[in-house]
Amino acid sequence: MNQQLTAASLALALGAALTVAASPALAADKMADKEKCFGVALKGKNDCAAGPGTTCAGTSKIDYQGNSWSLVPKGTCQKTASPTSPTGFGQLAAFKEKKA
Amino acid sequence: MPAPLDLPGPAGAPAPAGLPVRAGLGLKPAHFRDILETRPALGFFEIHAENYLVAGGPFHHYLSEIGQHYPLSVHGVGLSIGGEGPLDAAHLDRLAALLDRYQPAAFSEHLAWSSHGCAFLNDLLPLPYDRATLDRVCQHIDVVQHRLNRRMLLENPATYVEFAASTLSETEFIGEVVRRTGCGLLLDVNNVYVSCTNHGRDPYAYLDALPLAAVGEIHLAGFAEDVDAAGDRLLIDNHGSPVAEAVWDLYRYALAGSGPVATLIERDHDVPALAVLLAEAGRADGALAAAAAPRRAA
Amino acid sequence: MSAQAAFAAALVDPALPCPPGLLAWNGSDPARRFAVYRNNVVVSLIDALADGFPVVQALVGDQFFRAMARRYVVDRPPASAVMAEYGDDFADFIAGFAPAAGLPYLADLARLERCRVTACHAADAAAIDPAQLAAALADPATLPDLRLALHPALRVLASDYAIVALWAAHQGVGALAEVHPGRPESALVLRYGLDVEVIGITAAAAAFVASLAAGYCLGQAMAAAGAHEAAFDPTAILATLIAKGAVCTVCTASARHPQGEHHD
Repeated sequence: MNQQLTAASLALALGAALTVAASPALAADKMADKEKCFGVALKGKNDCAAGPGTTCAGTSKIDYQGNSWSLVPKGTCQKTASPTSPTGFGQLAAFKEKKA
Repeated sequence: MPAPLDLPGPAGAPAPAGLPVRAGLGLKPAHFRDILETRPALGFFEIHAENYLVAGGPFHHYLSEIGQHYPLSVHGVGLSIGGEGPLDAAHLDRLAALLDRYQPAAFSEHLAWSSHGCAFLNDLLPLPYDRATLDRVCQHIDVVQHRLNRRMLLENPATYVEFAASTLSETEFIGEVVRRTGCGLLLDVNNVYVSCTNHGRDPYAYLDALPLAAVGEIHLAGFAEDVDAAGDRLLIDNHGSPVAEAVWDLYRYALAGSGPVATLIERDHDVPALAVLLAEAGRADGALAAAAAPRRAA
Repeated sequence: MSAQAAFAAALVDPALPCPPGLLAWNGSDPARRFAVYRNNVVVSLIDALADGFPVVQALVGDQFFRAMARRYVVDRPPASAVMAEYGDDFADFIAGFAPAAGLPYLADLARLERCRVTACHAADAAAIDPAQLAAALADPATLPDLRLALHPALRVLASDYAIVALWAAHQGVGALAEVHPGRPESALVLRYGLDVEVIGITAAAAAFVASLAAGYCLGQAMAAAGAHEAAFDPTAILATLIAKGAVCTVCTASARHPQGEHHD
């Protein structure tokens, strides 16, 4: 695209974009509705990761001993379609945590 | 030797405003909006400094708003004052910028270490109480107080082990740090109870041995119960439950020695609704009022 | 090895014995007490990661996530005491983590979640007054040379996988079973007001935004987008950027009297 053509299409686009951005319709359109659901901030686990990571509290759970796990995936990945997986579902290899 | 401190504080004039002698709460993101909408009657809010060592966004937005209505206390959890290496100058600079921005009524940190080499271990780790450690901790506190240009409060730790190398008791060690650096004491009464239980000591005698006149703030929190290899109680400072009755008793005893002092209810795990914490803060306010009432003749 | 070096090494490696010189008042084995510290260190760091990567955690399940995170924590402990800064290279770690190789999209999902955290805490900046942009329209010939400074919280992530749909399905938008993970998607992550938003955009729009974010002017950004989509129309992406306050300043790259530089 040559410079003149680019300038012309940019002028059209920017003009239209300013109009769209200024209209309250953007807040009500489908994309914005979706975004609202995506806009998770400051509640529960989505509080931008300030949780126990920087508290001075301890925790009494003792679960660091991970010497010989055989893990079977139990996450939502099993619900996704996966063309590369023989079962048609997302797969995780079971793995053993070895002693260092 | 470090130069004599020229810091605002009880020994100098004028003293900074300090925290009001009332109960306060740890500031939790889950409560930001509730606090601004209801403006509960509270003496102050305390933040963990490291949660706010970020450039911008909602944390600073809410802290700025809340700071317009309440005094703030900044509580560091990552400076590693007891670390073997030198203090992290960059971290200290960031703390200085945070204090500059919010002008909190108090700044406190822990008698502990949390970094080694390049790794931050995200826990408050214990120190042997010997002369070499004492010199190092005092030197680090001197650096902190000069860099931040204010008197800091040092918090007594909750610990699970003791060291064969220790030649001083914890109270002797803390007393010496306070005397040499001029820092104040953040008396964590839950930590006193937890550590004394974990090490077979009398928490009341422990309080008697501390320089309670230096206390600038008190922390109250809940602990979890565990047992050690011998089956004896091992208490975990998890800040995950209400303040225990035994800790309230110890708190009233501490107030009799220190006089009424700004008191924080700390809750970091299983954080309940704001109203639940306000009720605990109300109980601390009651104890403060009782401690401020004219004492009967001795 | 210094006392703290030995203590620190044993904290993250349960195969090492409890460090020497520890005591318990009742003569009990101090290893049981030292385990409290081991637990605090490892669990608190894993929890910090779990907070920042909730969708990765959901995808693989708690047990797998915590095992993977534990390996990361031990291999790459945080360098900073600021936990919001921990996890920058978790996605790279996942990409090289063999047990997760069956989920090739997992690393990019982690990148998206990391973008959300860094966007949340990025510096504040005021959005441009749209009148300033409108003024630029007065001389269309200069538009290709216009530089838009974007908001510090803005991130753009192009992926070979359906990262936006996968992420959205975990927010209750769309059904996970209908997501085809192998479909390439691009995400625009920005902070609007106090909320971090994830917006699905085309690969061409992603190239356009990435070009602007790298400091290129509009004409160059058009060329970058054109490599993906010959007839690229920037209207929608420009409208989104403007409406979401993601354009902060504007200046003309080749102008002798650049505007807005004092805002930088």
